[in-house]
Amino acid sequence: MKVKVFAQSVLIGAGLLMVGLTPAQSQTREESQGMVLLRGLPTLDTKHSIAIVELDPESDQFGELLSEVEQPDIQHPLHHLYYSPNGRLYSTGLDPSCSLAEIGLSRDSSGTPVIEGFTCLDTQGQIVGEDIMWATSNGQEYMFVTFMGGTGGDDGGSVGVFDTQTNEVVKIIEARKSQVGEGEPYIMYPHGISAFDDRMVVTSTIHPDMATGVGNVLTIIDLNTLEPIQNIVVENEKPLDFPSSPVEVLFARPDMHADIEPAILANTMFGFETWKIPYDTGSKTFGEAEVIYSGVANETAVPLEFYGTEDELFISHGLPGVVKRYELAALPELVSSGPDIVADPGAHHMIFFTSASGRNLIAVQNNLLNLGNAADDDPTDVDFIADLSAHTITIHDLETGERIAEVNFKERYNKGVDNVEGLFGSGFVHHH
Amino acid sequence: MLRVFLTAAVAGVIAATTWVIWDRVRGPTATPIAGFSAPFVFGRFAVPPDNPLTEEAFALGRHLFYDPILSGNNQVSCATCHVQALAFTDGLAKSPALPGGELEFSSMSLTNLLWGQERFFWDGRATSLEAQALMPIQHPDEMDQDLGELVTELQASRDYRRMFRKAYGEISAENVTRALSTFMRMLISSDSKYDRFLRGKARLSEQEEHGRKLFMAHPDTKVSLRGGNCIDCHSQFLTSGFRDALDGFSNNGLDSDGDLPDGLMAVTGNPAHKGFFKVPTLRNIAVTAPYMHDGRFETLEEVMDHYNDGIVVSDTLSPLILEADNAPEAGQGTVGLRMTPDEVQSIIAFLHTLTDEDFLTNTQFSNPFEGDS
Ligand code: HEC
Ligand code: HEC
Repeated sequence: MKVKVFAQSVLIGAGLLMVGLTPAQSQTREESQGMVLLRGLPTLDTKHSIAIVELDPESDQFGELLSEVEQPDIQHPLHHLYYSPNGRLYSTGLDPSCSLAEIGLSRDSSGTPVIEGFTCLDTQGQIVGEDIMWATSNGQEYMFVTFMGGTGGDDGGSVGVFDTQTNEVVKIIEARKSQVGEGEPYIMYPHGISAFDDRMVVTSTIHPDMATGVGNVLTIIDLNTLEPIQNIVVENEKPLDFPSSPVEVLFARPDMHADIEPAILANTMFGFETWKIPYDTGSKTFGEAEVIYSGVANETAVPLEFYGTEDELFISHGLPGVVKRYELAALPELVSSGPDIVADPGAHHMIFFTSASGRNLIAVQNNLLNLGNAADDDPTDVDFIADLSAHTITIHDLETGERIAEVNFKERYNKGVDNVEGLFGSGFVHHH
Repeated sequence: MLRVFLTAAVAGVIAATTWVIWDRVRGPTATPIAGFSAPFVFGRFAVPPDNPLTEEAFALGRHLFYDPILSGNNQVSCATCHVQALAFTDGLAKSPALPGGELEFSSMSLTNLLWGQERFFWDGRATSLEAQALMPIQHPDEMDQDLGELVTELQASRDYRRMFRKAYGEISAENVTRALSTFMRMLISSDSKYDRFLRGKARLSEQEEHGRKLFMAHPDTKVSLRGGNCIDCHSQFLTSGFRDALDGFSNNGLDSDGDLPDGLMAVTGNPAHKGFFKVPTLRNIAVTAPYMHDGRFETLEEVMDHYNDGIVVSDTLSPLILEADNAPEAGQGTVGLRMTPDEVQSIIAFLHTLTDEDFLTNTQFSNPFEGDS
């Protein structure tokens, strides 16, 4: 039971996506204003919202919400934020009525950022949107979205392919385990997504109801045909006695850093491990999958996101709430580039930015899930889980990891903070 | 009956007089620009706190911009050299000088000035729009106007007395520059085909899309990436130069060391800035020929020939241009991008998607002394 609730909570609260943020070739960087997705806490009578928060501790407005749009009609909140290469902002959502949305942004006559609202997009029945990436198939760019619920059913899950201009569904990539032949590649509960050349990888995480099934494979999709071509099992230790549940993936590749040998990295939510699967560009084949980081051995659990700067890779671990850092150039090996950044329990999404005085900072959102109140019989009020949600964004010096400040959203706004991974404006673009 | 009528008439007269007096003595009204909304991808902008964007300042600035009263001989207005249909350029290689002959430079497009470099003119000698606006007015070759005289002339006009009162309270040279700046800040072009493409409201043709990709890519022969490299200086969404520090100025290889004009060096005194010019916006570039600070190129084809194999090497030539080569094995006879004719045509096709018909014909930006407003 605990594990089940734990899994559910992790998935609902956890963004578990894999992106890095690199400065775009744009003059539009909004240095320190984070886009956040806030979760209304029923017991505190607050509503879900999208907001812009000032994250520079040097600013008078530190911690203030500069703009906020509430989502009163949606039961489950929006989930992840992604800027498209053309600077449009999208969000995936957990509510079946809004599994994918585009968010309208503009500025008023004083230059102040304004969130105009959001439009839920037609996903043709695909539900529980998770990660988004933009990739090219046969020279044409598309928006790819993983839907952990897919079009429903016990072994559902799909990758939606959308027209980048009209947001219309071009194709639903589906391959149910129950329908493909024995040993044929399937897609189930996909969550993480990444790509290199003409190969895309998605993970098989867990059924959105958290009870029906848990995955333990990666699925490789051929971007020429948009069909799944291979499954790769990533399972070893089972500290929770559950399938490994791979969540986020990163296809490490030379365009991130010239020295990188291509390979897939995958974090397993219930295996607590990071896996490496080398890729041979010439033969387009994948090598043996191997564990390159063990949470059991290192006393960390729930490895979550991959984020990158120009020279480092960061991986968040929900427990005890740390961000580990590695040399980007050494990938796919994990070579430490410094001491852990000690955030709060639930360490999850993050962004990189500079303060007014030019100091390089990292902000970490610490929240895996949102807690009800035991008095209301809310099953999420479990001590073990409570430990996983600090409801804070902690701000650290990027060089030293030193913790400089924090914003506690629960104390200040009676809300949970589900996500921070984009700055306002298009100065940062997500890279998978 | 008569009495009632008289009383009403007197009351009416008193009310009217009171309104007239009150209208004359009351302070300025600051009506925020109705429905203002700027594309967020253009990025942050800041308006000077002492000169906020208001309807009153915009209306005044528009009148001043189109009014030859600003010049010494009352014949030249800003619009003489900044014509809306030409994206506020004048279609000439070099603008005509007042005493005859021509100015040193080609007129510049006035578009999206809220963003991009915070220095104005080809050599960046003005550090704010407010500072810039006084320069052509006083320049003997441009408008040759004495500021004291200008204020006296404006005082004589009832319309201007009213407009200044509403916008700023009083007529002064400073308020002239403020109003002109507000008008120019509002010259926002954000409805070209490219803008609509960015918003998901238009599709580029195959050729335009190819051109867009080339525009946005730095060539890398190691990974067979072909590129025109334009984005390295003409930023992605605005297509103007970068805002930070002096990043928005560079030497794009027009002249050899012997002929290199001072450019930004004239302002900073730094020899490393010799031959640096403001990277201009490419919005509406198809209607702003001829091109470059001295209008040396008649067509976009000539501009592309320059970037493709006509780069002139000098000490301060941008390394971004020197490095960008799609066919380095083709020998070192010329310096340039060495793209195929198809690729060059695609970039030109993309440049045409930057034309914003709405902007070029928007009646809010047109001559208020003509037509219905
Ligand atoms: C005689 C022609 C002429 C007149 C009249 C004229 N300009 Fe210009 N304008 C130019 C030229 C030429 C340049 C480029 C000059 C340079 O770089 O030295 C220019 C540049 C500018 C710029 C700089 C744009 C940029 O991106 O840096 C602004 C702003 C401007 N003019 C506004 C005005 C205003 C306002 C008026 C009226 C008060 C005016 N101009 C009158 C010819 C003119
Ligand atoms: C190294 C920076 C740099 C790069 C790269 C660059 N430009 Fe420019 N561009 C400039 C500068 C600086 C000017 C103004 C030069 C002058 O007039 O002295 C300019 C001027 C222009 C003009 C004339 C604008 C006008 O109003 O007269 C056009 C058109 C243009 N560039 C197009 C392009 C295209 C297309 C590309 C890519 C193929 C490109 N540029 C690449 C810096 C650059």
